[in-house]
Amino acid sequence: MTDDGLVLWRLRVRYRKDGRLAFLGHLEVMNTIMRSVRRSGLPFSVGNGFARRMRVQFSQALPVGASSQAEYFDLMLTRRVEPALALEAVGAATPAGLAPEAVAYLPRKVPALEAWATVSRWSCDLMGEGLDAGDLERAVARMRDRGALEYRRGEKTKRVDLTETLVSIAVDEAPDGLRVDLMTRSTNEASLRPAVLFDKAMGEEPLLGARLDYARVTRLGQWHATEDGRLVEPLEMTFGEGEQGYSGSAHTEQ
Amino acid sequence: MRAAREDLFHRIEPLLTRVDKPARYLDHEWGATEEQNGPFHVCMVYPDVYEVGQPNLAIAILYDVLNRQEGVSCERAYLPWVDMADLMREEGIPLLALESSAPLASFDVVGFTLAHEMACTNVVEALDLAGIPVRSEERAEDDPFVFGGGPSVWNCEPVAPAFDAILLGDGEEAIVEMVDCVRRGRDRGDSREQVLLDLARVQGVYVPSLYEVVVDEGSTRWGYARPKEGTGAPGRVLKRTLQDLSATDPGYQRIVPYMGLIQDRLAVEVLRGCARGCRFCQAGMTYRPVRERPADQVVDACERGLERTGFDECSLSSLSTTDHSQCREMLQELDRDLAGTGVRVSIPSQRMDSFGVEMAAAVGASRKAGLTFAPEAGSQRLRDVINKNVTERDIEQAARNAFSAGWRRMKLYFMMGLPTETDEDIIKISECAERVCSIGREVLGRRAGVSVSISVAVFVPKAHTPFQWVGQLPLDEVVKRQQLLLHSTPDRAVRISYHDARTSQVEAALSKMGRRGFDLVMEAWRLGCRFDAWSDQFSYERWCEAARNVGVDLAETASESFDHSLRLPWEHTSPGVSRGFLEREWRRAARGVTTEDCTRASCVGCGVCPTLSVYNDLAGDRS
Repeated sequence: MTDDGLVLWRLRVRYRKDGRLAFLGHLEVMNTIMRSVRRSGLPFSVGNGFARRMRVQFSQALPVGASSQAEYFDLMLTRRVEPALALEAVGAATPAGLAPEAVAYLPRKVPALEAWATVSRWSCDLMGEGLDAGDLERAVARMRDRGALEYRRGEKTKRVDLTETLVSIAVDEAPDGLRVDLMTRSTNEASLRPAVLFDKAMGEEPLLGARLDYARVTRLGQWHATEDGRLVEPLEMTFGEGEQGYSGSAHTEQ
Repeated sequence: MRAAREDLFHRIEPLLTRVDKPARYLDHEWGATEEQNGPFHVCMVYPDVYEVGQPNLAIAILYDVLNRQEGVSCERAYLPWVDMADLMREEGIPLLALESSAPLASFDVVGFTLAHEMACTNVVEALDLAGIPVRSEERAEDDPFVFGGGPSVWNCEPVAPAFDAILLGDGEEAIVEMVDCVRRGRDRGDSREQVLLDLARVQGVYVPSLYEVVVDEGSTRWGYARPKEGTGAPGRVLKRTLQDLSATDPGYQRIVPYMGLIQDRLAVEVLRGCARGCRFCQAGMTYRPVRERPADQVVDACERGLERTGFDECSLSSLSTTDHSQCREMLQELDRDLAGTGVRVSIPSQRMDSFGVEMAAAVGASRKAGLTFAPEAGSQRLRDVINKNVTERDIEQAARNAFSAGWRRMKLYFMMGLPTETDEDIIKISECAERVCSIGREVLGRRAGVSVSISVAVFVPKAHTPFQWVGQLPLDEVVKRQQLLLHSTPDRAVRISYHDARTSQVEAALSKMGRRGFDLVMEAWRLGCRFDAWSDQFSYERWCEAARNVGVDLAETASESFDHSLRLPWEHTSPGVSRGFLEREWRRAARGVTTEDCTRASCVGCGVCPTLSVYNDLAGDRS
């Protein structure tokens, strides 16, 4: 219940981010989704603060330029709308590049998405010249052995501990370059951006003669890692709570 | 030569990870017209970056109007930021339109919004990046026709050589006729020259190439433009006016951007024109008469627009929204209808009186951001000279009401270098700010943290205003008066900021020059000037160098005053306000006599209504 006694419903939405919209930043994605929700006509809840903001929470920021098959947001509704209808409504009001694909109601009190779903799996296509799968694996192994990588972002130097954040990496040869299957885990301190990992790897000895032109990065999924190491999918949380999820294709012509 | 119409997005896509804010270049926004089948293609260009240009209402209107025309498609283009423009040049990629990602040079018509003088080099930059010959006279038969229009056309001579046709005044009807002209001409296989002659017959359209510049004893050194013999072009082009604003659909804003804009909200135009008659204000002279949209139409447009776009803020736009005769009713109705949705309503400028404060309170304007007023001048004498009909009492009352309503911060806009200004007027700016500050302390107490910031711009004399003959205050004198203001303001709760005086000097020079000014614009651009309205990009040194190279003295040009007997460089274009009225207003200014607002008192004889056969159209009575 909110302060003013309303019963709220937590609707979790899984959506894609692809095509040109991969180039949107996190703030741009959030604004676009909030405007889509307003257009959808869903009975969204508004906070009590002076700014009267929509009650919505998002999963971890995706880097600019990265696509995703599984991003999430939690939207608080003032009344329960059938999941299929809710998916259809928000789908019809959202640009195709951010199309919602599945929804489910969750218990109202759950941990915040951003801090809860910390494990990501990525598929990355690397294009360039002289790129070799074995060399990249060796380069990343050397970096991991050293422990951490540092990179500049604007005015700041960021430090990412690879022993904590890099879960696994597998590299295959692909027609135009390499395909990398990557698992990462974000910590309170840092999260590993695939593009940064590859950029840094190009400076390692095994890859010094090669050239990376472009890395196309796609997030395949996000999970919560339980203490015993099991991965829980964000929509799966609801199972056993007596609520039903709904997955279907709600795509707009936009 | 006309470029091929093809989708080149795949060529800019690899650059997107290398530039700042790639969302500027994406298109595919909600509400954009994706179907662009033409066969006649128009592209509207705002010569600045996406987040500055996308909120522009004029482009939204023309985009909507043209996309409704059978057989016509209209797209948008913005100037890429310097990082992207440089990469595109490196890679040999021309400027593209957003919707189709087709080269700008492949369009039939390219239309520019001329928002202000400091965008001149950006027009050149856009044309050059597009691969369209920069000068109209260099364009080949099948090159796009380049149109211009917008608030800054009132001395368009310094950019005129870049345009095939320039529209003066309201665009929603004229653009259709202009596009038709080109379309019919193309269908008939007419020459480019013939199409230009036809364009000159559309009311409100100025075709610079049909005019020659003459310098004689009756003109300033910049000369004046006279129709070439046999062209049939009018000796004086009168602006185009849309009489019935309420007959147009106010719901033209359909595109919902991804990235944050400088004005990131739904905007509904509530009225056009302002008759307050501030003598420095070009918009106040050139947008007459006053035309209001009825309150119910505005409220309906806001509510439908919010539903359609999903914006969480809605702005009631105009030159002076609180002057709308039904302002209170509109705000009350919106407040009632939008309760609980988290939507904010905003009004762009407040009247400096208690009604202004009441309206700001009615829209729940942010207490944190403070309240902004524009007394423009510090002394009553000078406010009378500029016809800013605000009295000392109005200012005090507005301040008292605002502090009582909970505001602690106040922002006051002033100008420096106004005609007849003396040191005493400068000191009065500081006294005015301190008076407001002390009222704040009186109302809220000394410990309430009352603060007043004053922002002082340098006055730029503009064409078609009563001050069009005067020169700008020279830079060294500006610096002296800035120092004086600083020293006469000891109260630390009063913060002073200045608009860069050197930028204003370039703006003043461009506002006064004739067609030869284009040589200066071209040379400045050649030396690297672009995005001159961005303080981090503006280079006064480069402008000075460019001026030297083309034999112009920037300081002298900006501060030059013109004799009233001379023909001015812009008098072949007219917003309908008569020269006689402007001269009379100048004489009244010199005597400190004010002139009333004709929407509240009787006609002041500005000449617009009889000249253009139009009239003020109010939705109710103005109080």
